[in-house]
Amino acid sequence: MTLLSRRTLLAASGAALTAPLAMPALGQGNWPNRPIQLIVPWGAGGGTDATARIVASLLERDLGQPVNVVNRTGGSGVVGHSAIATAQPDGYTIGMITVEITMMHWQGLTQLNPTSYTPLALMNSDPPGVQVATNSPYADIKALADAIKARPAGTFKASGTGQGGIWHLALVGWLQAMGLKGDHVRWVPSNGAAPAMQELAAGGVDIVTCSVPEARAMIDAGRAKSLAIMAPERNAMFAQVPTLNETLGINYSVGAWRGIAGPKNLPAPVTQRMATALKAAYDNPQFKEFMTSRGFGTVWQDAAGFASFMAEGDRAMGEAMRGAGLARG
Amino acid sequence: MDPLLQAFGLVFDPFVLAVIGLSAVFGMFVGAMPGLTATMATALLVPVTFFMPPVPALGAIVTATTMAIFAGDIPGAMLRMPGTPASAAYADESYAMTQKGQLNLCMGANLVFSVGGGLIGVAVLIGFAPMLAEVAINFSSYEYFWLACLGLTCAVFMSNADPVKGFLSLFFGLLLATVGIDPAAGFPRFTFDDVNLMGGVNFIATMIGMFAVSELMRGAVTVDLVTRAVPQAVGSLFRGLGDVTRRYWWNFLRGSFIGTAIGALPGAGADIAAWISYAVSKRFSKQPEKFGTGEVEGIVDATSANNSALGSAWIPALVFGIPGDSITAIVIGVLYMKGMNPGPTVFQENPQLIYSVFLIFILANIIMLPLGWAAIKSARQILRVPRNLLLPVILLFCLVGSFAMTNSLYGVVLMLAMGILGWIMEEHGIPIAPLILGLVLGEMLEQTFVQSMIKADGAFLEFFSRPIAGSLGVFTLLIWLVMLGRGFRRAPVPAAA
Amino acid sequence: MRLNDALLGAILLGFAGWIWWLTSFFPSFPGQDYGPNLFPRILATGIGLCALVLVLRGVRNRAPLLVVEGWVVQPRRVISFLLIPLAALAYILVSDPLGFIPTAFLLLLGLSLWFQARPLVALPVAAGMTFLVHWFFAGLMRVPLPRGVLDSVL
Repeated sequence: MTLLSRRTLLAASGAALTAPLAMPALGQGNWPNRPIQLIVPWGAGGGTDATARIVASLLERDLGQPVNVVNRTGGSGVVGHSAIATAQPDGYTIGMITVEITMMHWQGLTQLNPTSYTPLALMNSDPPGVQVATNSPYADIKALADAIKARPAGTFKASGTGQGGIWHLALVGWLQAMGLKGDHVRWVPSNGAAPAMQELAAGGVDIVTCSVPEARAMIDAGRAKSLAIMAPERNAMFAQVPTLNETLGINYSVGAWRGIAGPKNLPAPVTQRMATALKAAYDNPQFKEFMTSRGFGTVWQDAAGFASFMAEGDRAMGEAMRGAGLARG
Repeated sequence: MDPLLQAFGLVFDPFVLAVIGLSAVFGMFVGAMPGLTATMATALLVPVTFFMPPVPALGAIVTATTMAIFAGDIPGAMLRMPGTPASAAYADESYAMTQKGQLNLCMGANLVFSVGGGLIGVAVLIGFAPMLAEVAINFSSYEYFWLACLGLTCAVFMSNADPVKGFLSLFFGLLLATVGIDPAAGFPRFTFDDVNLMGGVNFIATMIGMFAVSELMRGAVTVDLVTRAVPQAVGSLFRGLGDVTRRYWWNFLRGSFIGTAIGALPGAGADIAAWISYAVSKRFSKQPEKFGTGEVEGIVDATSANNSALGSAWIPALVFGIPGDSITAIVIGVLYMKGMNPGPTVFQENPQLIYSVFLIFILANIIMLPLGWAAIKSARQILRVPRNLLLPVILLFCLVGSFAMTNSLYGVVLMLAMGILGWIMEEHGIPIAPLILGLVLGEMLEQTFVQSMIKADGAFLEFFSRPIAGSLGVFTLLIWLVMLGRGFRRAPVPAAA
Repeated sequence: MRLNDALLGAILLGFAGWIWWLTSFFPSFPGQDYGPNLFPRILATGIGLCALVLVLRGVRNRAPLLVVEGWVVQPRRVISFLLIPLAALAYILVSDPLGFIPTAFLLLLGLSLWFQARPLVALPVAAGMTFLVHWFFAGLMRVPLPRGVLDSVL
């Protein structure tokens, strides 16, 4: 018996020793030859997760290898974003990065910034909206804006995400564009858009500045209404909602975007293959159909375009956050 | 065509039935494995269901979660390891019953009252969906704050141990919940510049460590001793159940009602339902001193509650697109993917799909009876496996399970640390359950407190300004007063030898 | 193994103090009295109060400082006990470079042999369970278990 186990062990360790020698030869050229991980910094069931999963399923068919969506959640996105940035740059770990990567480092939460990644493609961007409860006395955005200006600071309460999150900045930017201070409307931090919309419906806060698709369930339930979106043009799915520009003459727009990126220094064969695969996924009617059905905006930028888009966004965010007193360090 | 007839056609289709059958087996297995949760089963089913039509996709999720929540009771009773967090509230109690030789009665009660509770939850989902959600939807941070307080009060209710040590455990749990980004200012607390700690202390990995690893450490010491005679409780699972039903029919109804109500609240699911109904059961029992010693009474309440919460959690999810628990959070994503955008309109636009979900819920609860019976019968083999082989295999499940919860070694490190901490706590007579509850409710408590204070501009009286919040608050304060009074009246406990 | 209440309480008092000290580095929330340090401080106070009660109780009872069970003097039992956390530690350290399959197999085999399982039984169980778990988690559930040295084979 001992002999048997010893022999098996020897055979096993023999295999273990020779395996690494064989690896480089197999690993070259024909990327991908094993499953790919697509890291998502947000939880299963959310918008980022859903977008990542549809992209993964389309990539899987194109690349001929499983593309596994792996949720690495927590820390307001820091955990997942660092998992992508610190992965082996071999093309087998990529991830979906979100607008928070241009914000977290200004808040002093992490050292990571857009240059910590190899950008691959920008797939989606959603502008914030201005939502109020259905029984709110303000019929349109103009009435709301006038009321905010007329009342003392701190009268109105708004929510939508955590302190210093993207929808908080949307509110700050909007207030500043109206010539008010960034904290004229008090921010109530929440654990995402859905709980904030519930607070709105329950009468806990006055305004929620999340994106319209995130507010959609409450709007369809007749509990909330969207007064405006902070974007250059209207959303086809919510065509009745005007933009800030056409109602208040304020040309202010930010957005929560999502894109695919890998760790820094991805090899060229990987980025080239990914570029065609991601473009094909973006152009696939299934992707378009899915995104439209949820009211998500589709935006395309290739690797170079994505990089400059992030650099510009990073600069603008830094400015806005310093202006609002949200930057640290 | 009548939507109900259409729904029958959609559900009783060979492919759909095959998917339901496979998901049932999958759910049973995942639920029975400590470290694999119903939530995880759902999350991992999503890619499988991605290219299926809506009915089989939703059917797979409904069936798998229904089975998993029941199957979590099996290892709780046999190994003192809850298979899912929803079974944690009464794992100790079930295990005590097993040690008293009442494994059959315990498993039979778990199975039958899980089915019963599940069916009641589904009935409420079908009958009262819009009405119940209407109540829950009006809850703001004030109401949630008091709800969290009530939940924590349960932790003290439940602890049989020395109250000082119970509070100690609770404070530890709440402190663990503060690790990570704080809910008010977004500042990373107690992270020591570690990225993983920024994400907080993972609840499942903690549970695996506290409940399983500490148990393995204790077990390893005695592994070479002659193992206790495994209760060879062959025979009917259902003997004695008639008697239990006659004595505890009220507990069954009360547990199902509490579970249904808690499940329908956004954010609170099967696990909290089980904790609360167990505590309520103990509080109102004629024999509270027997709780924790292997009494079926609390199990009847809690096992009905967690299964009934499962169905009612779909109420806010379907009606408002707001998750009732972590499972329905994933379900909402699936609904969107299938073009069934949740909201009141879905009842008008796709009634046949909604009816199909209801039918599958009923079907899943019915097939749970034979399938659960089979699972219990085959799970018994676990106890017959020699412990020197079982121990390493369970350790492997713990390692992989906690790894899977964070998709990184952080989960394993956490599990190990919590295992050692759990062992030390038990050695000192400090109960583990309050810590777990503190960890679960800590974030909600702090978040809702900070939100409420910001909304109220610092005026604490605002916490009582809304009718429901006020009632919940007064109720909570009354319980605290009663507990304090009892604490003073009780003679000082002589220190344990 | 059980420490005297007084000793345990003293350790916990120190812990509560350490938590309080850590919170003093937290920034305050502009314009509000309840910043990130409020909850940890309440909890540190709570732990401190409980610890004080334990200290008082321990001093009154005069129990021995440390009570240990009988198995602590039996080296084999102590090793068995330590093997559980050590095996988890080993998994943490080597699973990434070595890969899940070899690590899990060696872990299962080593532990069951130490616990005096017969090799004829332990070997197939270790191999079977390793592959079953790997198939279920890595294959079916798509958990990214480390591939390690078998990377090119899988």
